[in-house]
Amino acid sequence: MKADPRGVLTGVHFMDGDHACCEGALAAGARFAAGYPITPSTEVVERFAARVPTVGGCFIQMEDELAASIALQGAVWGGAKAFTVTSGPGFSLMMEHVGYAAMTETPCVFVDVQRGGPSTGLPTLPAQADMQQARWGSHGDYEIIALCPNSPQECFDLTIKAFNLAEEFRVPVIFLMDEVVGHMTEKVVIPSADQIEVVPRKHTHKTVDEYLPYETNGDMVPEIAHAGEGYKFHVTGLTHDERGYPNMTPLAQDKLVRRLQNKVRAAADRIAMFEEEQTDDADVVVISYGITSRVAQRAIDLARQRGLRVGKLRLITAWPFPDRKISELAAKVKAFVVPELNLGQMVREVERAAAGKGKTFSVPHAGGGVHKPEDILKVIVEASQ
Amino acid sequence: MVERCKSCGFCVEFCPTKVLALSSAFNSRGYHPPHVIHPEKCSGCDLCGMYCPDFAIFGTKLPGTGGEK
Repeated sequence: MKADPRGVLTGVHFMDGDHACCEGALAAGARFAAGYPITPSTEVVERFAARVPTVGGCFIQMEDELAASIALQGAVWGGAKAFTVTSGPGFSLMMEHVGYAAMTETPCVFVDVQRGGPSTGLPTLPAQADMQQARWGSHGDYEIIALCPNSPQECFDLTIKAFNLAEEFRVPVIFLMDEVVGHMTEKVVIPSADQIEVVPRKHTHKTVDEYLPYETNGDMVPEIAHAGEGYKFHVTGLTHDERGYPNMTPLAQDKLVRRLQNKVRAAADRIAMFEEEQTDDADVVVISYGITSRVAQRAIDLARQRGLRVGKLRLITAWPFPDRKISELAAKVKAFVVPELNLGQMVREVERAAAGKGKTFSVPHAGGGVHKPEDILKVIVEASQ
Repeated sequence: MVERCKSCGFCVEFCPTKVLALSSAFNSRGYHPPHVIHPEKCSGCDLCGMYCPDFAIFGTKLPGTGGEK
């Protein structure tokens, strides 16, 4: 399905990542957002609040992040594509509803423009320290999908992708920006609507009498009812059966929770997006994501100038983690170097996926700024030996 | 229980097996609470209880039966 042209601001723009994310959401068909302002994410919904009435939608500033993250899910069940936007402290408050969206299979997008933490931390200064929270922040076993843009252009492109993945798998998709990407202003090209592919909601074709809200048909993703067409269903965070009725038996729990995990895990290789360069002859591969990947690029270029055989793997999908790709690389390279704006979060995943093959070097940074290319270069040199 | 009812009709509307109807009786606030018109159809699912905004109805399973309001 092609994008609704009303939401697509076709043209060449000079805009920051937050605004590009907003335009991506509009292009993807988002017609509702609920949020509570928090720097460095506010500009996304500030623009959305101004833009969305012109295309037939609305924004509500809620009383807090808990309210925002559940209001958007009400909108989704009412038929809208919806999202919320926040930063670390607000993202912590939204955790309960990330789990609710996972359990109720509510397709929606949570944008987290990361800043330094813990707690109030560093308003309007960058970090990438919510990476593991995005994966594990809510209680219970579930899977989410998380994407990491590294430019305003990607904030536009990948926001559309985030909405599409949310609809395809009926999961909350976490859009993990960081303050630098959010506030960086660059060229953003928005194509015409007929060049933008949008995944429509997976509405049921069954009759009102036949329809079971959580019945699956082979692909593990149930069909959703179209609100207002007479389908009656019950949405609950309690463990439920195909009818959507609470069913607190170990059997129902096993069936439901395994499906919630497996619907994403089974498609992990298909979902995984990454950018790979110069890994064919590489001794060392630098694995990075978000703004850090742009600093890492400079470090890689400097290392290549010195004759070191260094490759690049940029994670675009953080979750599900691209285990297979890391495993393949681990079999042929000497070491991985993992710079990130936290004290070592995704490096744990690299170590896990490498499973003892090749050494892994962390290049931590507590946030508040970005790495110096020389800091990464130093570790690349060390890892090459 | 019956005094909490405000006749919104959610329980009647959402009952999957159409067990309930609003009665002609009044509670003290002048609303018509629901009554069971097809007890044999009740599955005991308690959807009426989950939907009721006023906690004015709930399902309970009677021993030895398929279920009852």
